[in-house]
Amino acid sequence: MGTVLAIQSLSKQYGKIHAVDNLSFEVLKGQVFGLLGPNGSGKTTTLSILLDLVKPNKGTFTWFDSPPSKESRKRIGSVIESPNFFPYLSAWKNLQIVADIKDLGYNDIDRVLSLTGLYDRRTSRFKTYSFGMKQRLAIASALLGNPDVLILDEPTNGLDPQGIAQVRELIIKVAGSGITIILASHLLDEVQKICSHVVVLNKGQKLFSGKVSEVLAISDSFELSSDNVELLQKTIASYPKFRSCTQNGSLLQVYFNDRVEPAQINLFLSQHGIILTHLSERKRSLEQHFLELLEDKS
Amino acid sequence: MIKLLKIEVKKIFTYKIFWILFGLYFFFLACGILLAEFMINNMVDDMNRHMPIPFPHITIYYFPDIWQNLTFFASIRFVMIFPAIIVMILITNEFTFKTIRQNIINGMSKSEFLASKLQIILIMALLITVVLATGTFIIGVSHSGFNDMAILNKGIPYTIGFFVSILAFLIYAFFLAFMLRNTGLSIAIFTLYSLIIEPIVNGFLRSPFIFKNKIYSYLPVSGAVSVTEYPAIPILKRVTGIELQHGVAFTDCLIPVVYSILMIGIVYWVMSKKDL
Repeated sequence: MGTVLAIQSLSKQYGKIHAVDNLSFEVLKGQVFGLLGPNGSGKTTTLSILLDLVKPNKGTFTWFDSPPSKESRKRIGSVIESPNFFPYLSAWKNLQIVADIKDLGYNDIDRVLSLTGLYDRRTSRFKTYSFGMKQRLAIASALLGNPDVLILDEPTNGLDPQGIAQVRELIIKVAGSGITIILASHLLDEVQKICSHVVVLNKGQKLFSGKVSEVLAISDSFELSSDNVELLQKTIASYPKFRSCTQNGSLLQVYFNDRVEPAQINLFLSQHGIILTHLSERKRSLEQHFLELLEDKS
Repeated sequence: MIKLLKIEVKKIFTYKIFWILFGLYFFFLACGILLAEFMINNMVDDMNRHMPIPFPHITIYYFPDIWQNLTFFASIRFVMIFPAIIVMILITNEFTFKTIRQNIINGMSKSEFLASKLQIILIMALLITVVLATGTFIIGVSHSGFNDMAILNKGIPYTIGFFVSILAFLIYAFFLAFMLRNTGLSIAIFTLYSLIIEPIVNGFLRSPFIFKNKIYSYLPVSGAVSVTEYPAIPILKRVTGIELQHGVAFTDCLIPVVYSILMIGIVYWVMSKKDL
């Protein structure tokens, strides 16, 4: 697989604040790459540097194994922060300008407008659009001409639940076509649903990187109870994947090192002669997990 | 270059504010030109009330003086500021709508973006010059008829001089818009500087007690305005004692051209350094 993007020790300072601090990572062809971090963690600054809007203080990066240029940017479709279009021009005209800049013909415009559900409103001026439509037009513009890479910065920010679902569905659909996607988001849930690889950022620094399934592996806990809590506690401690447990009245809160199915626990305990009176799985909220990830490091 | 022009035309083609302002500019330019003689003669009548020997009525629409008169009128700073404001709106809009960011992201280089704006400025300046020259020619012919090609002799230098003035003026607007990146601020500062601050400084520099030379014409706006500084109205000389110009001097054109090149250079340099 070819390298789409390689970043070496990129840094950007605004006064005393390190917006991006010695950041390095690589994105390979075909990956759906997540850039995860809380607001102000340097995601947008990183993307702005990668798109030549902001000059880094230090570090280099390459697109498609060559130094960044306007030609490399033509192969990238991007949605950065807010949708930026001429308010007095129609969606159709705005996309014509995009096509002109990217040296594309106009025959792809209808396709991306249909894909984002804006075809019927293509002649309306941009300023008459709702926020969701504006965001979808930005995505349409990014998809124009089937770029090699799609950069999406908080693509569902400010959208209503229906809009969020539509946009995510669209991204997953596009990702299925083999295009490389770089998605910046502060929503763990979003990254987990969409991405295959992730870099977790905080205060401009890289905390973790790797496969989503590894970095964001979530160990759930179970609530167990039986007539003899002490015996239950002893027995469950001998379960291979057992990590820890706390007693909470007649309930045991049990944590495991790996993903465990409730049926496995039930089977294991019944083999040891324990009949459960209560078994429930506790999913930790993803946000909580994310906060823990950040806390561990700082 | 054609590609950049195509993009630029798309940006302004359906932009109502651009066409309304440009239309208003031409409308008031035409009104001013057509009413100028009437208004000047009104003033002459006023003066004559206190004069033992009345001044004769003047005519400004006859060849060849009409070239000098109308280019003088069109290059008054109050008149030239109109298209300059349009230029500042077009450029600062790109910052307000953040479309400059989007253009760069989509694969335009910063220098291409600047070139596209300079192109549209060049075209605006050419258009204004051509409309003015055509109008001048039509008014001139309707007053003094078309006798021989000699009537154009004075027309060419004054038209070129006017083109240099208006182009420089629009480039100053380009400069300020890219430096300030804000519509209201750039219009306010441009207006304040060109209509108030520089004329005050001018007043001091022109004062016979300080300087008797044309040092004021080294200021950017005055330099652009003074390419076609005076109309060909002899009465003006008799009333004010000012030595009127008899042609467009190459050295006068040089001052705004140097300022323009300098400002374009600064804009390119700053844009290459500064984040968007």
